[in-house]
Amino acid sequence: MIPFQFITAFLLIFMGVYAFLYKRNLLKLILALDVIDSGIHLLLISFGYRLENNVLPTAPIYTGYETVKAPMVGPLPQALVLTSIVIGVCVLSLAVALTINAYRHYGSLDVNKLRRLRG
Amino acid sequence: MFGYWDALYFVYVFIIGLIIAYLLMKWAERASSGTRREGEGAKIFLSGEDQDRVIPDFEHFRGYFTGRHVMWGLIRGINRMFIAFRREHTGLLGDYVSYLLITIALVLGALIIWG
Amino acid sequence: MNVLPFVIIIPLLGVFSLPLVGLVGKKAREAWALLISGATLGVTSKLLYNVWSTKETLVYTLGAKSPMGQGVGFPVRIVWEVDLLSAIMAFTIAFVAFLAVAYSIEYMRHDTGLEKYYVLILVLELGMLGIVLTGDIFNFYVFLEIMSIASYALVAFRNDTWEGIEAGIKYMFVGSLASSFILLGIALLYGQYGTLTMAYLAEKMAANFTLTAKIALAFLIGGLLFKSGAVPVHMWLADAHPAAPSSISAMLSGLVIKAGGVYVIARIAFSVFGMAVNLRTLGWVIIFFACLTLIVGNAMAVVQTDMKRLLAFSSVGQIGYILLGLGIGLAAYGTKVGEIATAGAIYHTVNHAIMKALLFMVAGAVLHELGTKDLNELSGLAKTMPKTTFAFIVGAAAIIGLPPLNGFASKWLLYESSALFNPFLGAIAIIGTAFCTAAYIRVLYTFLGRPSERVMKAKEPGMAMLLPMFILVGAIILMGLFPWQISKGVMIPAASMLANIKGYVLAVMGGV
Repeated sequence: MIPFQFITAFLLIFMGVYAFLYKRNLLKLILALDVIDSGIHLLLISFGYRLENNVLPTAPIYTGYETVKAPMVGPLPQALVLTSIVIGVCVLSLAVALTINAYRHYGSLDVNKLRRLRG
Repeated sequence: MFGYWDALYFVYVFIIGLIIAYLLMKWAERASSGTRREGEGAKIFLSGEDQDRVIPDFEHFRGYFTGRHVMWGLIRGINRMFIAFRREHTGLLGDYVSYLLITIALVLGALIIWG
Repeated sequence: MNVLPFVIIIPLLGVFSLPLVGLVGKKAREAWALLISGATLGVTSKLLYNVWSTKETLVYTLGAKSPMGQGVGFPVRIVWEVDLLSAIMAFTIAFVAFLAVAYSIEYMRHDTGLEKYYVLILVLELGMLGIVLTGDIFNFYVFLEIMSIASYALVAFRNDTWEGIEAGIKYMFVGSLASSFILLGIALLYGQYGTLTMAYLAEKMAANFTLTAKIALAFLIGGLLFKSGAVPVHMWLADAHPAAPSSISAMLSGLVIKAGGVYVIARIAFSVFGMAVNLRTLGWVIIFFACLTLIVGNAMAVVQTDMKRLLAFSSVGQIGYILLGLGIGLAAYGTKVGEIATAGAIYHTVNHAIMKALLFMVAGAVLHELGTKDLNELSGLAKTMPKTTFAFIVGAAAIIGLPPLNGFASKWLLYESSALFNPFLGAIAIIGTAFCTAAYIRVLYTFLGRPSERVMKAKEPGMAMLLPMFILVGAIILMGLFPWQISKGVMIPAASMLANIKGYVLAVMGGV
């Protein structure tokens, strides 16, 4: 059986790709980028989750984790996701800045209006 | 023969290329209209296009060999291919995304079947 | 002394200190950017010499002596791993970036916001250097995004023109989607094998190659084909590269599509997946896209009227040659033909970086002096800008592959190996060259034609722009004089080191 968090992650990714194909507003495309990124982050985070003997795992960020005898979640995916979130924020802020400039030049947020470069 | 080229090969290829180019030029010259080699108002053949024709919006460039003029018979012959290629470049973001997805799907299919 | 970490430390120092140095004045800022990129060039040339003379894979572990974890038998730390291919790429990147910085001192003089420009150009260089050095697959993703974000911002640098903004938006949105797919591939690999070190990943994959790994490979290859501008995902390239300032176009076309695209495809296909995946299939997939790229890219270059757009489409076509060599190297892995094809691809990568940087610099000089890049208005440029035209003729002849210049040697290796592998592929490569020749002859005719009035007012650009151009001309001619020495001495060893997958793995894993 595929764990439900993987299904959720792939649904998020597909939602984002769908929005990329069929939405025309630039702001919605930015949201689509964020949704795809969130899906991948969820996938990565859930790789670190281990359920052993029906004991819930503890996050390594939890203070006093040395005393916890229960299993731990993998710390590496969390570090990866943290890095990836920072990158995502850079991409989003740059995308919003470009969108503002595009509105200034084209007077519209419709991405299909941005087609002077062709051929 | 790896990594070493005989100078003679190059000469052969060059000569064959020259002959092909000459034949192509002859063919294009015949196929195009408005080329006169001698006599009053001789016009050299450079392109398939008539040099004297006035192009709308480009009247002031008459007589210069502009980028628009230098396009010879070979290119004219497969003009339809270029038109198809240019039409594909639509400039729509959705098309760019769909091409990306198609590429990934192709690679995925090939790798799953034969990988 | 191990010079490897300084390849990243020096540009990183430059990036963060540049705004502070810029407070002193404009001259200081330019001098600092030039100094930093020059120092990087020095360090990378030392690195190239070290790797070339020993023919050993250098490994550097971040924060420890050995990549192995304490008490466990597998690598847990981030490693940088440099073989000869990485070193060649790093040297090329530093060389072209140094000249691009030198060129932009005069070229960008009339623009504002230059402190951001110089920071971004150094970030771009840093990202590319990181990509070619790293041996950790998530570290590679981080550097890829550093490079990509810097190039998105630089494409849209002239935000007062609609062209830059539109190209920037298209490049950025689809590029981020491609980056997300690459991250998805990396996430799937991590979920399957639980490691991020390329060498250990290769070892685990050889033992157990699953469907998930195949899907991950497809996402990685798809995203990277996008980043390298292969047809049918080349369209962002043709929009973005002409819209950027010319010094940036030189870096984007010369370096970014290779460091962030072709190099990583080679690294992932050979070093990570090489022992597991069916290399014949993977090779033919890449050859398929390479053939499309060859034909469409070069053919589209013929019908452009915008000079920089023509050069951008020509870049697409030349990427086709590099991918063709790479694909044959994969499909014919282990044979002499495959080794020659890979060597040809590496050689052409270096040559094309130099040639396309030169051609974009020429286009930039024309744009700077005349204010237009429309070929219909540039008739007869040779009268007033003879030095620039000479540089263009050398670059165009080299990219077509005329014998005394460097493009000939690499293209010859590619033709020869593709014709021996499959004559049909050789024929396609020749057809691509025919289109390429047509495109460049067209520009040359325009340059050498009868001067139009607008052109008569032009004059040569200043020394700061001419000097980088002529250094590149010198490099083209010099590399053209010793084609087989370079190919035998540097490129074929690089190809055989790349093909030696076990060596790459053992360099990190030790003699386990």
